[in-house]
Amino acid sequence: MAGIIQAPEVFGITPHKVSVCVLLQVYAGPNRACVPYPFSTVSQHNRLGLFLLAHTKSCDDIVDPKLEDLINQLRTIFSSSADWLLDHLTSRLSSLSSPDDLFNFFADMRGILAGFYDGVVEDGQIILDPNSILGIFLRRCILAFNLLPFEGICHVLTNIDFYCKEVLSGCASYEAALDDSGHDLEATSDYENMDLEKLVYEKVTEEIEAKRRAGEKIPFHLHTPTTLIGLVEDFNISAKAKFKESSKAKEASPYAFCVDDSLKDMDGVFLRSNWQIQGFLAEQADAIEKRGSSFSLNAFELMLRQLEKLAPELHRVHFLRYLNSLYHDDYTAALENLHKYFDSSAGTEGLDVASPCVINNHGRFEVALLCQGMLHFHFGHPKQALEVLAEAVQVSQQHHNDSCLAYTLAAICNLLSEIGISSTSPLLRSSYSPIARMGTSFSVQQQLFVLLRGSLKRAESLKLKRLVASNHLTLAKFHLMHVQRPLLSFGPKALMKLKTCPINVCKELRLSSSLITEFGSENSVMTTDGAQSTAWLKNLQKPIGSSVFLEETISGNRPYASSFFAQPSSIPGSVLQHIGSLQLVRATAWEIYGSAPLARINTLAFANCFADHSSSADAALAYGKLIVYLATYKGYKAAFAALKIAEDRFLSVSKSQMLTVKLQLLHEHALHRGQLKVAQQVSNELGVMASPVTGVDMDLKTEASLRHARTLLAAKQFSKAAAVAHSLFCMCYKFNLHVHNASVLLLLAEIHKKSGNAVLGLPYALASLSFCQSLNLDLLKASATLTLAELWLCLGTNHAKRALALIHSALPMILGHGGLELRARACIAEAKCYLSDPSFSVSKDPEMVLDSLRQATEELQLLEYHELAAEAFYLMAITYDKLGRFEEREEAAASFRSHIKALGNPQDEVNHEPM
Amino acid sequence: MSSKESCRTELRAAIRQLSDRCLYSASKWAGEQLVGIELDPAKFTPSNTRFQRGSSSIRRRFRTNEITLTPIAGVSYVSTPVMEEDDAVDGDFYLLAKSYFDCREYRRAAHVLRDQNGKKSIFLRCYALFLAGEKRKEEEIIELEGPLGKSDAVNRELVALERELLMLRKNGSIDPFCLYMYGLVLKEKGSENLARTVLVESVNSYPWNWSAWSELQSLCTTVDILNSLPLNNHWMKDFFLASAYLELRMHNDSLAKYEYLQGTFSFSNYIQAQIAKAQYNLRDFDQVEAIFEDLMRNDPYRVEDMDMYSNVLYAKESFSALSYLAHRVFLTDKYRPESCCIMGNYYSLKGQHEKSIMYFRRALKLNKKFLSAWTLIGHEYVEMKNTAAAVEAYRRAVDVNPCDYRAWYGLGQAYEMMGMPLYALNYFRKSVFLQPGDSRLWIAMAQCYEKEELHMLEDAIKCYRRAVNCNDTEAIALHQLAKLNAELGRAEEAAFYYKKDLERMEAEEREGQNMVEALVFLATHCKTQKRFEEAEVYCTRLMDYKGPEKEMAKSLLRAIRIARSGFPSTDVEHFPP
Repeated sequence: MAGIIQAPEVFGITPHKVSVCVLLQVYAGPNRACVPYPFSTVSQHNRLGLFLLAHTKSCDDIVDPKLEDLINQLRTIFSSSADWLLDHLTSRLSSLSSPDDLFNFFADMRGILAGFYDGVVEDGQIILDPNSILGIFLRRCILAFNLLPFEGICHVLTNIDFYCKEVLSGCASYEAALDDSGHDLEATSDYENMDLEKLVYEKVTEEIEAKRRAGEKIPFHLHTPTTLIGLVEDFNISAKAKFKESSKAKEASPYAFCVDDSLKDMDGVFLRSNWQIQGFLAEQADAIEKRGSSFSLNAFELMLRQLEKLAPELHRVHFLRYLNSLYHDDYTAALENLHKYFDSSAGTEGLDVASPCVINNHGRFEVALLCQGMLHFHFGHPKQALEVLAEAVQVSQQHHNDSCLAYTLAAICNLLSEIGISSTSPLLRSSYSPIARMGTSFSVQQQLFVLLRGSLKRAESLKLKRLVASNHLTLAKFHLMHVQRPLLSFGPKALMKLKTCPINVCKELRLSSSLITEFGSENSVMTTDGAQSTAWLKNLQKPIGSSVFLEETISGNRPYASSFFAQPSSIPGSVLQHIGSLQLVRATAWEIYGSAPLARINTLAFANCFADHSSSADAALAYGKLIVYLATYKGYKAAFAALKIAEDRFLSVSKSQMLTVKLQLLHEHALHRGQLKVAQQVSNELGVMASPVTGVDMDLKTEASLRHARTLLAAKQFSKAAAVAHSLFCMCYKFNLHVHNASVLLLLAEIHKKSGNAVLGLPYALASLSFCQSLNLDLLKASATLTLAELWLCLGTNHAKRALALIHSALPMILGHGGLELRARACIAEAKCYLSDPSFSVSKDPEMVLDSLRQATEELQLLEYHELAAEAFYLMAITYDKLGRFEEREEAAASFRSHIKALGNPQDEVNHEPM
Repeated sequence: MSSKESCRTELRAAIRQLSDRCLYSASKWAGEQLVGIELDPAKFTPSNTRFQRGSSSIRRRFRTNEITLTPIAGVSYVSTPVMEEDDAVDGDFYLLAKSYFDCREYRRAAHVLRDQNGKKSIFLRCYALFLAGEKRKEEEIIELEGPLGKSDAVNRELVALERELLMLRKNGSIDPFCLYMYGLVLKEKGSENLARTVLVESVNSYPWNWSAWSELQSLCTTVDILNSLPLNNHWMKDFFLASAYLELRMHNDSLAKYEYLQGTFSFSNYIQAQIAKAQYNLRDFDQVEAIFEDLMRNDPYRVEDMDMYSNVLYAKESFSALSYLAHRVFLTDKYRPESCCIMGNYYSLKGQHEKSIMYFRRALKLNKKFLSAWTLIGHEYVEMKNTAAAVEAYRRAVDVNPCDYRAWYGLGQAYEMMGMPLYALNYFRKSVFLQPGDSRLWIAMAQCYEKEELHMLEDAIKCYRRAVNCNDTEAIALHQLAKLNAELGRAEEAAFYYKKDLERMEAEEREGQNMVEALVFLATHCKTQKRFEEAEVYCTRLMDYKGPEKEMAKSLLRAIRIARSGFPSTDVEHFPP
């Protein structure tokens, strides 16, 4: 760019590099033997080579490792023969005491490079190919040294001095060097360490403390996972302990120092080479995006602050700070840092979105707009996001940045498919031709579809594979939720059958997954390489500095397949992440189409194969799905147990998927046990979770008001329930949420059935049925059929035959895929049909009725669904009575009474509260 | 305020004490104020008053109210006794060390004083060590420039100095100068609260050390901090407060204080320059120019603050005066950031932007934190249409001082030029937040809203309204308000603003297209409202102009006449006697 300050030489000599050079000399020393001296076997020799390779490439931190760490690593690798190596290393380093020594050292280093002296190479001598990675590293070191001015050499010398001193003397070098020990020396250093930490701890502690206080007040805010609180308490203790020490120091010296920790740290801390830092930052960025709010805000902020101090011209720091504050919901800081990053680097540093030819005088400010759009999207401001993205479209067209345009369009598609749009007014105030051409004659959905296709085509022509894949994914989601309509509808053919296309969904998903075979051609090889080296070094021993990043909680439960020669997975993490989310969409599709086993299998596959690589939001979604599955098919006990495990795993506090799942479960449970007050409270809480902005969090909003209506229904406030359901239907219609509409209609039918107005319920049930048919919602259709049958049954005994036929038609689906409640309902309905059918005599074929009733009671007891269970037992008792089996009748009657009793005073069971 | 005479004696003693401790800039400042005190003409011969201006033109031109010497109500001044020197005869080692110090051999000076226990010697040793560390730090910053920029080098003497000064303070054997030193060290190390307490202690016991005051001022970033300082009421406190108010953008308070101080120090160049600074921020360029002309006459070799003068000359486009100024400072001292800025400004005015950037860069090399140079470089890049570089320059200015509304404004402008008005709005918002009284900023923001891409006219109108309230000197806002309202079909409001605009143009005796536009609109509007007489007035005024408007006025008049003859009754109705 037209940068004001030119970036100077990128590779600097640090003490760590010098010690790698020393080791290189050992590795490729001029020994004649086929295995050089210190090594007993060839494999040991190779191991050193691998170790050095990893050190030149790894990007696990911003600063070079200390000598102490290096020594420990060497000890781990060469348990027995390490001593000679370490002695050699330290003696060599400490022998460098004058500038001339350094000159000679680097002159010697030339010797191990082949080709520098084109003399005869003797047999068996190990030489370093100058074009190998290690060779290039060595050459860069030599070159960097030769470019150093005398002052620079002096600095390298003092740095090596610090570097060695920390290990050799084992005490803090700086104070020792000063040799001016006062009694408050230790206190000082303690305090120095404290200053920032204390601040961070206090902040975190305050935050969480506030949350916990809130939790104590309202009994239902049990949402902060206990582990998190535990974690904070740990922090508390350590912070307090330290604070005590420092306050003691304060007492001793009333004017205590308040020292930035940088002062001490500056010595003995050396930055890694530029691209190692960039690699590290890229990894951290991925980690933030993956883990969302469970990523530690303050620890990372500390690291960034240090990096900013050491390398003020590295603007990437601001971008990471932006990401960090974005995922911790700090709007102002995120916006501020985003602006800062793009202002100071024009977006040309560190982003590898497009080919370098795009970089021109304009910089890449369209990327800034894209990022700002995503920021607004993240914070749930769809209107602002659309405005900004429209400007991004304009600017990228203006600057001919096609790839940015493609990404922007994809972002717009994503935005539009996530939020609900009610109006048919033009979506974008932009000059983007496909949209502008369409005008307003099309519905929002059609516009979105056209936009999606256009964006896909653009991505394909630009060969942006990941984008293509994610576009396919968005298209699949679109097909899943929307009825396909022809774009041009006139003439007699206009009245086409409206249906969703499961085939299209499958096709898009398959196309999207072809990414995994194609990723190889992309140029992300370098970063993966660095990441491998990092992983390799990390496996060597516990992570050195970055244990704060909760490495253990996410992937720690799987032991590392750590051996030196293990083949690391060569698929980049982002591809795996994408495939993972694809798997989840597939699971969702099956869920909607109503195949429980397939949905479960897909979710399980995701949890097993991709959970480690996917974002925490995705993983939480999958766990949520599995828990809901457990609740509907195995009862609440299992579900709550699973929920506890999942909550421990997902420490995230805000906007958590887990919280939604938990509230859903609690609501369902409360409804079944007849605790209406609790149910009401929970459904209200669910409603509060959604953002107040129109069009945002539509799923959550529909879910909440659906549950509200169901609670009212359970409380027998039929008219209120119907009103809520009606308004919900209107909202769903307004925002084109047809899949939700099917269930709302079913709920309305249910309300009318319960209120004893079966005739009114029939049209709703039929409407729901036809919705289900056109949207391919098979399970929901079965349950609608069941409701229809129940309605017919309500109309009188003469309709029993018809009802029975309906139930029988739905039974295969219900028994194959339905949950406990649905199955029980079907069984009871079937039994009722038989009992009310005048042509059926109980005494002739009692098992027909008793069998299904028995099954129903078993399932209902698992669910603790008192109302239905009571009904089942009642029917059972009647049947037994008819059959004259009095003992069994009494038993059933007793069960009936107990269920009725439980329903009557739910307070008794409150102390059995699962959570 | 104490009498002039006591000020004079205090300052005289202070200058000696300060220069004994090699605090040269503080003693320079004290010297300037000493000479700035008005002399009693009866006592001195004309040769003594030669340096003082009897002929100050600006004071006659601009002083509106005579400043009385009565102190501000309720303030009783504390007189701090002039400090006694502990050792009347300076030690030999001290003398040697001081000469080393004067030759800038700081470490040598410190070494000579290593075993001396006199207060003066201790201070001088600490100060020399501190300066040696600073010097080394500056060198290291250049040496250590890594691949990713300059890492912050630190002054390696700070730890030892801090420890020693802490011990001294605990013993109670610390003097005000060492306290100043201690405050400086603490500030460098980042413990600002303690530094503030220590500096307050120092200035309370020895108020004449201006360096201590200015360190203290740099630690007062908000008004609350400033007001919470427990300062003794000494006349030096007024200097401090005035300067602090200026820095906190409380320009009027600052001006009042300075004018009050001028009662005693009526010939102080420093006060004049500070007043000029305040006036500059209040955008009263004429007065600033007059003050600087006066300053130049009395102190021709002054370089400090002259860059502001050049800014004023730039704004007024006076080429020759600017070139004269540039020439003068070039001859005085060309390696001062201020001189470089003046030369940069000159080239910029001449349209030679590359050269001007070179000079601004030189200014930055001389002083990394010379904020205005970054902003000026940004302006130059904008002129050269290199927006990306301009953005970077402005951002650096903002990084140095996040309250610089000019740089935020520049950022907004640059993004607007790149066709990203929505993005630019973020920056304009920042700049109007910092300087809500500046109509230019509001107008820029409004124009951004008006852009074709955004077309958010309602918001634009809101901004223009603010601009009108802020005394918009160029009268863009009124016209735009009228136009936008007309565009949105709000005829009444449009008429109201056109009328206001017209009045203003009449008052300022301006003619032009805007006038014609206003007249045309008002004429047609009045006609449609059936206020024919008014319409006729506007039409006849329009007749004075040439071009299609004249024809239009004629046809309008004709239409009015027809309408009047057709509906005479309405006429009466609308214009009651």
